[in-house]
Amino acid sequence: MNNTSIRVRLTLWYGSALALILLLFAVALYLVMSRALREQVDASLDEAAAVAIRTLGEHRFGPFLIFEDLSQEFPELALLDKFFQIFGPAGQVTIQSSNIQSREIPLSQTAFRASLAGESTFESVQFTKGVSLRLLSVPIRQGEQLVNILRVGTSLRPTDRMLRRLLVGLYIASPVALLMSLMGGWFLAGRALRPVHAITQAARRITAGDWSQRILTPHSNDEIGQLASTFNDMIGRLEVSFKQIRQFSADASHELRTPLTITKGETELALRRPRQAEDYRVVLESNLEEIDRMSRIVDELLFLSRADLGEIKLKMFPVQLDDLFREIHQQAAVLGKERSIQTVITKIEPVVVEGDDLRLRELLLNLVDNAVKYSQEGQTVELALVVEGNQAKIIVQDHGIGIAPENHSRVFDRFYRTDEARAHAAKGTGLGLAICKWIVEVHLGTIELQSTVHGGSCFTVFLPLSSPTI
Amino acid sequence: MRILVVEDEPKVASFIRRALEEESYAVDVCADGAGGLDWAQTINYDLIILDLMLPGLPGVEVLKRTRAAGIKTPVMILTARSEVDQRVKGLDAGADDYLTKPFAIEELLARARALLRRSGGAPSGILQVEDVVLNPVTREVTRGDQRLEFTTKEYALLEYLMRNAGRVLTRSMIAEHVWDLDFDTFTNVIDVYISYLRNKIDKGRERSLIQTIRGSGYMMRSDG
Repeated sequence: MNNTSIRVRLTLWYGSALALILLLFAVALYLVMSRALREQVDASLDEAAAVAIRTLGEHRFGPFLIFEDLSQEFPELALLDKFFQIFGPAGQVTIQSSNIQSREIPLSQTAFRASLAGESTFESVQFTKGVSLRLLSVPIRQGEQLVNILRVGTSLRPTDRMLRRLLVGLYIASPVALLMSLMGGWFLAGRALRPVHAITQAARRITAGDWSQRILTPHSNDEIGQLASTFNDMIGRLEVSFKQIRQFSADASHELRTPLTITKGETELALRRPRQAEDYRVVLESNLEEIDRMSRIVDELLFLSRADLGEIKLKMFPVQLDDLFREIHQQAAVLGKERSIQTVITKIEPVVVEGDDLRLRELLLNLVDNAVKYSQEGQTVELALVVEGNQAKIIVQDHGIGIAPENHSRVFDRFYRTDEARAHAAKGTGLGLAICKWIVEVHLGTIELQSTVHGGSCFTVFLPLSSPTI
Repeated sequence: MRILVVEDEPKVASFIRRALEEESYAVDVCADGAGGLDWAQTINYDLIILDLMLPGLPGVEVLKRTRAAGIKTPVMILTARSEVDQRVKGLDAGADDYLTKPFAIEELLARARALLRRSGGAPSGILQVEDVVLNPVTREVTRGDQRLEFTTKEYALLEYLMRNAGRVLTRSMIAEHVWDLDFDTFTNVIDVYISYLRNKIDKGRERSLIQTIRGSGYMMRSDG
């Protein structure tokens, strides 16, 4: 049953429900019709009896009244579909209308007893040769004395014929209606499910790698329309992240290719012919530098992909940021020593933030390392840590190569490096600032950049202060 | 033979330069596209090695403009292995050969030799003037059965002269093809090297293989 399509199932459910409704409707219609017809027959019998009794009364009720007088006076009594009988008080027939002819229709015991009690009786009688009759027996009394019993009867054949015709009509019409509505249901279900089919097709094409596929949504906002547009949104997001991943791996392989080219080239060149020990040392030093660069790229890539997957657990504790700041300042002095780049703290206040000590250290070190790396020889790097409102404000200012304003939004992207940074002697991995941004964001802070080309760069980090209750 | 290397990664440029210099080519290195285009148009190089990933002006653009300026110097492009369309664009823009990074240094040198040979018009690559035979692949020079030894500069000068045997080469042409940008044209270094060469190849010969053309420069005698 699971293999049956929704279209078939919908149609079947629809058909079964309709069949049930049709059946109930037919039964109800038949019952209501037959009851209405019966009541109509009874009412006409009642009416005929009343007319007859009135007529008999006007003729000074006598035992020898003949039917012809009656029918002459009231022609409607002679109508073919009714017959009359008048019984004596003992139940014997005294007069009867000519349309009964010689048929014997005796008064039943029930009718007779009811007449004695002064009540009228309706009866249905199955006559010989299959003719059904409806009979009304009415007692005619003078005072307490039962004088006569009037019986009016009519054949039920027209009523029966009408009911049979109705039944035949229902037998034919119901299956036809059912068939037609099944076809309609099949068509409608197909129509309603067509967008679902389109979605399936689109999804199938996407699996083949074509991310440009979209479902043509009807301009409706119904369930299917919503499904389609939700699906399109999802494809859009997937397309974006797929492209990002592709770009990321292309960038990663490119970044790794350069150090590989260098180590391979230097090594092969060194091995071409015998050389001085000093030459080998230079090559090995260069190679070591490139190997370090590769392992840094790999480490940072691993860090970022783990961060993306949410696998990096942070140990959040109150951190005395000014202590950390001083430590980083000392490390920066070592970093800048070779190129006589001085790092100075212009302002420092005691600050406690809630955070992961290791990650915050990494953040500061990355920023300060960048500042030193992209400074010219003899320049200074300025650091400041102040409280601003309920935030800690960290400022790392250099006077180095700077970043053009149009590239500000991209420097935090993975592997993005400005042309100036690429041409710079000290190579970064292009991942440092991406990692900084991630660390700042997991600490619910923000990072900003003010910079112009050759005007130096100033990175400002805001981190929320640790609430005093903790 | 003078070669221009346009490569922005200093360490890559550095080992390419050293490898080529060991093969006694004169090498200039330029780190950006605009500068590379400039140099290619000013100096008559014998070969240009061009990285396609350059800051500023992209490599393909440098190549197109070089060709548009009517410069027919053979160009070898350096690309990443994954960038097939880059390679195709480079070749369509007028590159003569390509090499993907990371590459084997021997392959770079062999392809450089092949390109220089093609433009030099000596299919076998072996150059001969009278009894002096020069093999650019092994960098061996023989005279008869005797093997001659040269310094890299001497060798480069000899190869240039032999490649252009029968043509008058001015001092500035020699400076352009044998020395790199650091060469100071006002010194008599060329004359000094010519005399070194004459000492080695003309021993016992009546007329020197290298003729001095008064007022213009030098010429290697062609056969006969």
